[in-house]
Amino acid sequence: MSQPAMINRYRWHELVAIYCGIFVFLAFILAPFVEGFLVSLKPLGLLFSSPYKFWPENGSFAAYKSMWVSVPGFARYIFNSFFISSIVTVIVLVLVVPAAYAFARFKFRGSGALLAAFLAVNMFSGAVLLIPLFRLMRSLGVLNTYFAMIVPGVAFLIPSAIWLLRTYMMRIPRELDEAAFVDGASHFYTLRRVILPIAMPGITVVAITTFIGSYAQQFIFALTFNSKTEYMPLPIGLYAYFGRQEVIWNELMAASFVGIAPAVILIFLMQRYLVAGLTAGAVKQ
Amino acid sequence: MGQLNLNRIQKFYGTYEVLKGIDLEVKNGEFVVFVGPSGCGKSTLLRMIAGLDETSSGDILIEGKRVNDLPPVKRGIAMVFQSYALYPHMTVFENIAFPLRVEKMAEEKLKAKVEHAARILHLDQRLQQKPGMLSGGQRQRVAIGRAIVREPKIFLFDEPLSNLDAALRADMRIELAKLHRQLQATMIYVTHDQVEAMTMADRIVVLNAGQIAQTGAPLELYHKPANTFVAGFIGNPKMNFLPVRCKGVSDAGVEVDYKGQTAVIPVAPQGGLVGRTLTLGVRPEHITLGPGDLTLKVTPTVIERLGAHTVAYAAIGGEGENFCAMLPGTAAIRPEVTIQTGIQVADCHLFDEAGIALERHVELTDIDMGVLDPAAA
Ligand SMILES: Nc1ncnc2c1ncn2[C@@H]1O[C@H](COP(=O)(O)OP(=O)(O)OP(=O)(O)O)[C@@H](O)[C@H]1O
Ligand SMILES: [Mg+2]
Repeated sequence: MSQPAMINRYRWHELVAIYCGIFVFLAFILAPFVEGFLVSLKPLGLLFSSPYKFWPENGSFAAYKSMWVSVPGFARYIFNSFFISSIVTVIVLVLVVPAAYAFARFKFRGSGALLAAFLAVNMFSGAVLLIPLFRLMRSLGVLNTYFAMIVPGVAFLIPSAIWLLRTYMMRIPRELDEAAFVDGASHFYTLRRVILPIAMPGITVVAITTFIGSYAQQFIFALTFNSKTEYMPLPIGLYAYFGRQEVIWNELMAASFVGIAPAVILIFLMQRYLVAGLTAGAVKQ
Repeated sequence: MGQLNLNRIQKFYGTYEVLKGIDLEVKNGEFVVFVGPSGCGKSTLLRMIAGLDETSSGDILIEGKRVNDLPPVKRGIAMVFQSYALYPHMTVFENIAFPLRVEKMAEEKLKAKVEHAARILHLDQRLQQKPGMLSGGQRQRVAIGRAIVREPKIFLFDEPLSNLDAALRADMRIELAKLHRQLQATMIYVTHDQVEAMTMADRIVVLNAGQIAQTGAPLELYHKPANTFVAGFIGNPKMNFLPVRCKGVSDAGVEVDYKGQTAVIPVAPQGGLVGRTLTLGVRPEHITLGPGDLTLKVTPTVIERLGAHTVAYAAIGGEGENFCAMLPGTAAIRPEVTIQTGIQVADCHLFDEAGIALERHVELTDIDMGVLDPAAA
C-alpha cells in the first residue's frame, strides 16, 4: 500500500473526528430518504401500528404498482415536470451562454449595474412576485398553459445562471480569444469553436442547477398560474395521493421516488461532461 | 517606404502615456527586435501593430496602406503570444489548422499546408496529440505553426521563449533564426532578453519608458550606444560609468580628468564641454589587469568564477556604485585584495551631462560589414 502524500496524512483522532462529522451530516441528509423508501415498502395498514416498526415486515413493492391505479394521470405529471424543466433548461442555456460570454469578455456601459441587478433579482424569490405575475399573465391571456409555468421559471433562473457561467468563462485565458481574433475568427465563431468546448463543464453545472431549480419552483408556479389537471407537474400531482379521508402514504412515497427518477437519470448522464482540467496546455502557467 | 511604417504612434491609458510618439520603418524581410525593461511598452506597441489594441494617435502603414482600422487578418499579420494561447481541446493538427478553417479552406489543401508547417517545426509525430501532452518547447512550436500556415506578410512574436528553460531557449532561438531565413518573412520580435536580441536581430529597437532610445544593428548598439540608457542596457554585465571632468577638446578627442589622471578619449569633439562633468563609460569586458591608459586601484568584494571568465565586483568612489570587471578565467585575484586594473581609451565611451553619447571614432564597417546595412547582410 502506498502512503498518501505528507500533506494528506492525518492522525487517528483527526480521522475519527472527520468521519464523525461526515456521518452526522450524512445522517441528516439520508435518513429522510431511507425512511421514505421503507415507508413505500410497507402496507398501508402497518404504517400506523404501534409500536412503530422501522423495518418493514412482509414489505413489498405493491405500492409501486398500485400508485398508477389510484392516480391514473400520474405518468402525465411526471412527463409535465420533465418537459417543463427541460424546456426551461434549454431556453436558459440558449440565452445565458452568449450573455455570460459577453459579461465575461466585453466592457460595456452598465455591465456592472446589470450584474448587480441580477443579484438583486435573485433575492426576491418568485413567491414575492406571484400576484403581479398572475395579473400580468392574466392580461396576456396565458394562464393555464405550459407557457405560464415555463416563462417565469426561465426569468428567475437566468440571473444565477449568468453569474455562475460568467465566473467560469472568466477563468478561460483571454489570449485564446485574442489568438482566434488574430486568426480571423468572428466573435460567434470563437464562442462556438473555442469557448463553448472549453466551458462545457461550467455549462453542465449551469444546466444541472437550472434543471433542479426549475423542478423546485414548479410547485408554486403551477399552483398559482395553472388549474388544468393535464398540465400539472409532479409536485402538484403528488397531492392527488392526499385523499379526502386519508393520505396513501406508501403510494405517495413510491410516487415520489418514481417521479424524480427521470431527473436523477438525466443528471447522472450529464455528469460525464463535468471533467476538470480542460484548459491544460492552453497557456503558460 | 518600408513594409511596415509607424508614424508618431501614441498610446494613452486614461491620462497615462504609455507610448510617446514612436516612429519606425521596417523593411521587407527584416528581423526587428524590440527590447527594453519591463513595462516600457513593448507588448503594447506589438499589440497595436497586430490590431488588438487601438492606437491613441498616429498611423500604422503596412505596404503603404493605412491599417489602423483593419482587423488583424486584413493587415496580413500573424501573432505568437507571450503565453502560447493554444486551444486546449483541439489536437495539434486542429490548432495549426485553425486559421485555415476560419478561412473555410478546402480539406485537401488545408491538410497539405498543416503537414508542411508541421514538418518545418518537427511536429509531424505529434499532430494527433492535445497541447496538454506537449512540452513547453513543443507547445511554442505549435503556436508558431499556427502563425506560419497563414503565410502572413509580417510575424509578430511577444516574448515567445520567456518561459522556456535556458537550453530549450537556445535551441528555439536557433530554430527561429532558421525559420526566418527559410520563410524570408518580416518578423518583429519582443523580448527583454538581450542575448535573444543580439543574436537574432537584423536591427534592434531599444525602448525606454515609451520612447525609442536607439535603433540599430546589434553591434552598432554595442559599439556606439547613443546614450547612457542603451549603453547600460546592451551588454552583460552592465557598462561601468565613471564621473570625469572635461579638461580640453581637440581633433584627437576629448581630454578628461579622472581623479588626477588624464586621458584623451577618441570621440567627436564638441564645443562648450570644457570644465563640465561628463560620464565615462567602459564595459567590464574591456577592463584588463595591470596598468592602462587610465589605471584604477580597486578592491573586489565579490568574485564570480564562470570558467571562461572571472567577474569581479568592487565598490569605487564614494557613490557606492559597483564597479565590475570581466577578467580572464584564470585571473589571480582574491576578494578584499586590492588590484590594479587598466582601461584603454580606445574602448571608452563618453556621454555628456544629459547622457547623450559623443560619437566614438570607431569604424563599424571594420567590425562587421553588414552592420550598417542590414538588408545587405
Ligand atoms: N490595459 C491597461 N491599462 C492600463 N495600463 C496598461 C494596460 N496595459 C498596459 N498598461 C501599462 O502600459 C505599460 C506598458 O505595458 P506593456 O505590457 O506594453 O509592457 P512590456 O514592455 O511588454 O513589459 P513586459 O516586459 O513586462 O512584458 C505598463 O506600465 C502597464 O502598466
Ligand atoms: Mg510584455
